[in-house]
Amino acid sequence: MLKLVVCIKQVPMVSELPWDPKTGNLQRDLAEGMMNPACRSALDAALRIKEAVGGEITAITMGPPMAEEVLREAIALGADRGVLLTDRKMAGADTSVTSHVLARAIEKNCPGFDLVLCGLATSDSETAQVGPQLAEELDIPGVTYVDELEIRDRTVRMQRIADYFLETLEMDLPGLVTVMAGRHAPRYVPLGGLQAAFAEADIVSLDAAAIGIDPERIGAKGSATKILNVFSPTEGKENIVLTGAPKRIVEQLFERFDDRIGSALGRDLKTDKRSS
Amino acid sequence: MTAKRRQIWVFGDYRNYFQNRVTLQLLSRATDLARKIDAEVCAVVFGDKVDEWVGEYIAHGAEKIYRTDHPRLAAYGVETYTLLMERLVKREKPEIVLVGATAFGREFAPRLAKRLVTGLTADCIGLDINGEGLLVQMAPSFGGNLVAEIVTPERRPQMATVRPGTFQEIPHDYARTGEVVDVPMPRDLPADRVRLVQSERCPQRDQKLEDAKVVVCGGRGLGSKKKFAKLFELAELLGGEVGATRPAVYADWADHNALVGQAGKQIRPQILFCFGISGAIQFTAACNGAKFVIAVNKNPNAAMMKRADVAIVADASQFCAALIQEFKKRFRS
Amino acid sequence: MDLNPCMKHKAVRKAVRMFAEAEIAPIAHDIDRDARFPWEIVEKMKPLHFFGLQAPEDYGGAGMDTISYAIAIEEISRVSGAMGLCLTVHNGVAVYPIVRFGTEEQKNRLLPAMTRGDRIGAFCLTESNAGSDAGGVETTAIRDGKEYVINGTKIFVTNGGVCGVALIFALTDPQNPQRSAGVFIVEKESPGFSVGEKEDLCGMRANPVSSLVLDDCRVPETNLLGRSGNGIKIALETLDTGRIGIAAQALGLAQAAFEDSVRYAKERQQFKKPLSSFQSIQNYLADMATEIDAGRLLLYRACALKDAGRPFGAEAAMAKLYCSALATRVTNTAVQIHGGYGYSKEYGVERYFRDAKVTEIYEGTSEIQRLVISRAVLAQRT
Repeated sequence: MLKLVVCIKQVPMVSELPWDPKTGNLQRDLAEGMMNPACRSALDAALRIKEAVGGEITAITMGPPMAEEVLREAIALGADRGVLLTDRKMAGADTSVTSHVLARAIEKNCPGFDLVLCGLATSDSETAQVGPQLAEELDIPGVTYVDELEIRDRTVRMQRIADYFLETLEMDLPGLVTVMAGRHAPRYVPLGGLQAAFAEADIVSLDAAAIGIDPERIGAKGSATKILNVFSPTEGKENIVLTGAPKRIVEQLFERFDDRIGSALGRDLKTDKRSS
Repeated sequence: MTAKRRQIWVFGDYRNYFQNRVTLQLLSRATDLARKIDAEVCAVVFGDKVDEWVGEYIAHGAEKIYRTDHPRLAAYGVETYTLLMERLVKREKPEIVLVGATAFGREFAPRLAKRLVTGLTADCIGLDINGEGLLVQMAPSFGGNLVAEIVTPERRPQMATVRPGTFQEIPHDYARTGEVVDVPMPRDLPADRVRLVQSERCPQRDQKLEDAKVVVCGGRGLGSKKKFAKLFELAELLGGEVGATRPAVYADWADHNALVGQAGKQIRPQILFCFGISGAIQFTAACNGAKFVIAVNKNPNAAMMKRADVAIVADASQFCAALIQEFKKRFRS
Repeated sequence: MDLNPCMKHKAVRKAVRMFAEAEIAPIAHDIDRDARFPWEIVEKMKPLHFFGLQAPEDYGGAGMDTISYAIAIEEISRVSGAMGLCLTVHNGVAVYPIVRFGTEEQKNRLLPAMTRGDRIGAFCLTESNAGSDAGGVETTAIRDGKEYVINGTKIFVTNGGVCGVALIFALTDPQNPQRSAGVFIVEKESPGFSVGEKEDLCGMRANPVSSLVLDDCRVPETNLLGRSGNGIKIALETLDTGRIGIAAQALGLAQAAFEDSVRYAKERQQFKKPLSSFQSIQNYLADMATEIDAGRLLLYRACALKDAGRPFGAEAAMAKLYCSALATRVTNTAVQIHGGYGYSKEYGVERYFRDAKVTEIYEGTSEIQRLVISRAVLAQRT
């Protein structure tokens, strides 16, 4: 039976309401977390494999204790067990350190794994780096941007679109894929499964010592990169508001912005006054 | 022997030279950065018969090229490229390595950084040198709503992948000369464990929206399929593409291929028109790269209106009609 | 006493919200405008156990605790009051009484299709001469051999136009209404059963609230729920549970109106300042927040009592009374904060406003809730 490992990150929730958005200000309230959308797709890919050829899915996450919630959600969706990596010492890790911790935990808790699935990128830090770096750490082949995958015998065949190429790739197991979000319609959490996932779920929680990693090599301390500053790029952006009758606004628009619009279009929009 | 000059490397990602000129853009920025730390701008090119790219990179600012030219490198292979680059970096010890944030770059650079035990910042939208001579890497997060300034204080090289379109390439100058260092293909190179079975260029159509300089997007505020259809007229007039929000696609006003958003396409046009779009995060995150945004909505409080360069409070379809008329008039004259 | 939501309840809220916002929100406005029942949403809800929220797993349900149930109804109603209504009636007053009072045979026969969502349930008490006064019911179910023959017309039946199973409150002996009330399971295929006219209502327009006509409608004797004469007891207990659902529904509507108001107050500028900078608006928002919070605590207490197997009727009535009243006030204030836009169909608040009012009316009017509460109060105080 295939042993599948899905790496999941809990990210801050951003409203999903299509036309009822928050204001421009982002609420970085980590108190309300959700499963990162691409991780959801990775889980979906694992569930498809499980449904097609069978398999056992371990969902693994690194984060604060409350990240347990995404493991329960994963179990509600069909994962078999969860592994929570939580330790204050792990906080502030960059992608390289994160992949190190994940790799050691996978080796320890999922020996003999066949396929590791990650989301392409997270919606918060958007690096897309943990997957490839995890493949390095585990010394297994890895493919990013995967749209579709299929396992036959011990070979994974994948399709992806990368840099304008539609590629078909193959690798032998064990291997790692990072999965694109949004390929399939979202899989919603069945409410019965959710009740069961909270009543009776196989979840283990591990700290750095339990994983057996060097505390000097993890968290912010072990990270090669340092964040100097965080700012919001939309702050201070000029926001010109034009009102009135449409024809009048069009006139105003061209009076003030014919240069910018013209250069964007690559055309000269200047008119001699009333030339027509 | 004098101390070797510091180097800034740019990975030569030429696979989509005509669509994606990020390598040239990086050479341009590397030239600026090199002045600040007195460094040499180098490009690294792996491939089969790469003379064309070597010439291009020199013409666009590279002073030195490291080249491995071998038939086995005809197709991009992430493991092979990582290994070649790892050895080369360990040998030459560049100060900075920049990689275009193409799909390949974002797969290759993280593995390289891991092998080199150094830091890497993803998909940067800005690069600079600070007072301490460190590379400041500006990385977007939360769909571009936040930008983090990141440095790699101790480990070397300092590495970043950089979003295409962030910098302007410098005009080519084929009179420029550069040194070409041939790096022989190692004999012990293992086979890539990932096998490329088939690769075909995507039909151009698929990328049109992502690459369009002009995008006209519509949302639920347009109210009907008929009114949405006006956008195609505007887009055609301007030589642009039409995008749609999820509600508009749901309502079947536009094809799913036109979906701009988290689950759809990422766009970064020079100019973006938003008609009747409220500005849900799923949408705005996908069009953060737009240079100049004109939003039209009856509701002045829509989030999209706050984010636009120009917010036009009007009925979206009436304004669209007026705009089409005006463009027609101006294009005629 | 921990008043913080536990991880499970947060997860339930997020799971339902994710579904509601992605699948229902995009059409919530349109189904209200067109007064259309969204079958496509029903199809999507089926595999997620929305039609068996509290039913035991053995019958295909999710086996939810009552707080989880309230949260689910709240979150669906936050996006669409009409769909929240469909679910609370189906789960709370159709599936629940069968689980609670049904025979094993009835449960096995009826529940799987209901919890799957293949058969939507309705509960029918109200008639043209009976509503709050259950004793005024005139529908009869006269025994004829091994069948009951039901005659009468039920009105204002939520889910009426789409129901597969209707629980009909009727008298087996019209001469003795108090002693002979019973609840009868009528399926849409039962001979003599038909759906009457759809009501044209102020709110909840996406729910096909209709009259149901029983014209010599024959059902087997095995379709009597509980015992004959137990009708009043079943109805009262069912309505206790139903009130939890309606309170949750009202809360969801209030929550939606409140969130829209906060957002609008921050965005909308008047006198060159955001509305939220004006004290009168701040006061509105403070009152809305306080009432919603108070209502939620009342509701969850009633739920917790029910889960603990303790009497919860008066507490559920308090929650229903208070939440429905706050929903009308909060949605009304939300319209006020939005000004002209609030009165426009372009924004959601006018819909919440129209939807909220009926929560003070159905499943026991506010007057009846007060009656229930005062009885409990007077019974305690000696």
